[in-house]
Amino acid sequence: MRTKLAIAIAAVGLISAAPMWAHHAFAAEFDSSKPIKLQGTVTKMEWINPHAWIHIDVKNADGTVTSWMVEGGSPNTLLRNGFTKASLPPGTEIVVDGYQSKDESNKMNGRDITFPDGRKLFVGSAGQGSPPDSKSDK
Amino acid sequence: MRSACLIVILALTAIAACAQSDLQGIWSNATITPLERPSDLAGKPTFTAEEAAAYEKQVAERSNVDHRSANAEADVSSAYNQFWYDRGTKTVGTRRTSLIVDPPDGHIPALTPEAQKRVQETRAWMQEHSTDGPEGRSLGERCILWATAGPPMMPGPYNNNFQIVQTRNQVVILNEMIHNARIIPLDGSPHLASNIRQWMGDSRGHWDGNTLVVDTTNFSDEYSFRGSDRNLHLTERFTRVSPDTLLYEFTVDDPTAFTKPWTAQIAVTTTKGPIFEYACHEGNYAMTDILAGARAAEKKSLK
Repeated sequence: MRTKLAIAIAAVGLISAAPMWAHHAFAAEFDSSKPIKLQGTVTKMEWINPHAWIHIDVKNADGTVTSWMVEGGSPNTLLRNGFTKASLPPGTEIVVDGYQSKDESNKMNGRDITFPDGRKLFVGSAGQGSPPDSKSDK
Repeated sequence: MRSACLIVILALTAIAACAQSDLQGIWSNATITPLERPSDLAGKPTFTAEEAAAYEKQVAERSNVDHRSANAEADVSSAYNQFWYDRGTKTVGTRRTSLIVDPPDGHIPALTPEAQKRVQETRAWMQEHSTDGPEGRSLGERCILWATAGPPMMPGPYNNNFQIVQTRNQVVILNEMIHNARIIPLDGSPHLASNIRQWMGDSRGHWDGNTLVVDTTNFSDEYSFRGSDRNLHLTERFTRVSPDTLLYEFTVDDPTAFTKPWTAQIAVTTTKGPIFEYACHEGNYAMTDILAGARAAEKKSLK
């Protein structure tokens, strides 16, 4: 077991050789065969690392409500871009287009998060030419 | 006489402390320049200003994950919208086309046959056991070490920030990713005994003129940087070349893993603080999600 453990842990170096996108392998957590698109109302946002989670309530056709958790990225990046906990208040309507978790619980990744009119949520990441690009002292 | 001597010693100490180059500040190593030179830039070690601008535009377009992939597997791997990323937008200030400056071809030297065998075995084991339990996941997913936080420190997808705090006898490097704080003694003390192994190794520093040189050995057997093993000897050099630029170089020397040493160089720039906490374990729901997904798949296959 000890040898196997050592082999497995050493893999950090191998994995880092590939382009790194997220803190963990989203392909291991979410099912690419289960694309899902939902419109719902934000009930809360967890500003936690390694990844923030947005909670939404989705109204079903029969009038019942299903709660979903949507995984985003590091909240540090949002803070650095000037967003605060007040930036996504409960009650905000959003559209989430992503993939459901492999355990089939009501969790999905926020592959694409927009407002119902198509505007992107939290616009302003580096490289998009938006005002927060001037955030650094450089 | 004794007190006069004491004054002289104190004065010399103060002069020595003042003579140190001041590396303190909050720094960003975000850059889009890759560690290794892309194949289409083979034989071209540096950009002109115009070429760098064109490359920056091309990379910004190519790496924008808001462009959805038709391949669902690739699409899910892109994780989430572009607004969560902060890789930087610029090539490295040296205008190099790769962070690796030696060997001159900009590529990591070949692994030794033993290292190749170890890497292949690791990959095979990972494929088979990666969802057996948390121990099979990467150190980053387990919130133990972030692959680019170092040592050596490399640019990653976001939170590419670190803070240097310096005294006469110690330097501390606080890295935002997984909030690692590396304490580097400058007192001339020797490395730990070779049987004592640490996740981030054992760092010892000294001044070479205005350059802080940090030697790190004693890495854990369970740590590997780009294929390195327990014999990794890492040398980092920090030189403040201007008020807002720190030239950071590192040399990877591991004769049992690489066929020759290699060196990379990053022009690191000052950035606005503060460093934010990265409380990785606090909300690491993904670990349970990944393992729960694997258990659900197993149950399905038994039906």
